[in-house]
Amino acid sequence: MTQTTIAPERIDEVSSEDVADPDKPWLVIVWNDPINLMSYVTWVFQKLFGYPLAKATKLMLEVHHEGRSVVSSGPREKAELDCYRLHAHGLWATITRSD
Amino acid sequence: MPELDKQGDSLHLQLDEQEAGILRELLKEMRMLLEADIPPSDEVLQRLFPRAHQDDGEEKAYRELVGDELRTVKLEAVRVVQEALGPRGSADMSLSPDAAESWLRSLNDIRLAIGTRLEVDDEKMGREYDPNDPEAPALAILHWLGWLQGSMLEELSA
Repeated sequence: MTQTTIAPERIDEVSSEDVADPDKPWLVIVWNDPINLMSYVTWVFQKLFGYPLAKATKLMLEVHHEGRSVVSSGPREKAELDCYRLHAHGLWATITRSD
Repeated sequence: MPELDKQGDSLHLQLDEQEAGILRELLKEMRMLLEADIPPSDEVLQRLFPRAHQDDGEEKAYRELVGDELRTVKLEAVRVVQEALGPRGSADMSLSPDAAESWLRSLNDIRLAIGTRLEVDDEKMGREYDPNDPEAPALAILHWLGWLQGSMLEELSA
């Protein structure tokens, strides 16, 4: 019986960042500020994320009363795009890895 | 007072000469701010272009990805509003949904710039108008822009 030698699959270099934890998404956080109108913030959440009025209002009130709210999450690329779109609308948003 | 009503999908907005003039002046300043080579440490620019990441390395990579896009979309919104207002006099405008959105974003950026310069907080935003307050004129403009922005949002969602 001959045993076929199989070359090991080439393993791509994976950076530690990529393997940190693929199940843990990035979070997009919006912070409270004294200038933006509540109605405007609610409108932005509806428009950018397609949230119904009730959900958009709930998130806006969370930002207003608790100082911050997680408004979306997902892979890094999506979180960065969401953050960028929030900045384009003048909301104060940051992203962080969930833990 | 501005006249505002919805006509089909469009927003009909009338500003008198003085209102339109104030807005033209503010838009000119916003354009200068967005185009100028101001140190990014400037607090208004920090508010208009906030950090996305806390980590410096992550932030640098993010900024490289975004490039000048954020500045470009903000300038484009300013341009749309300037075009609707025209060069002088009162303004009688019919704003498409897209144009109305540019208005909302531009009005918001101007409010952020004024509010950040004034270092407003909830107390200052709620302050009664006092003619002796040196910040009263700027606060009045901030509130007027907020009223206009809020009224537009009300009409759009009506």
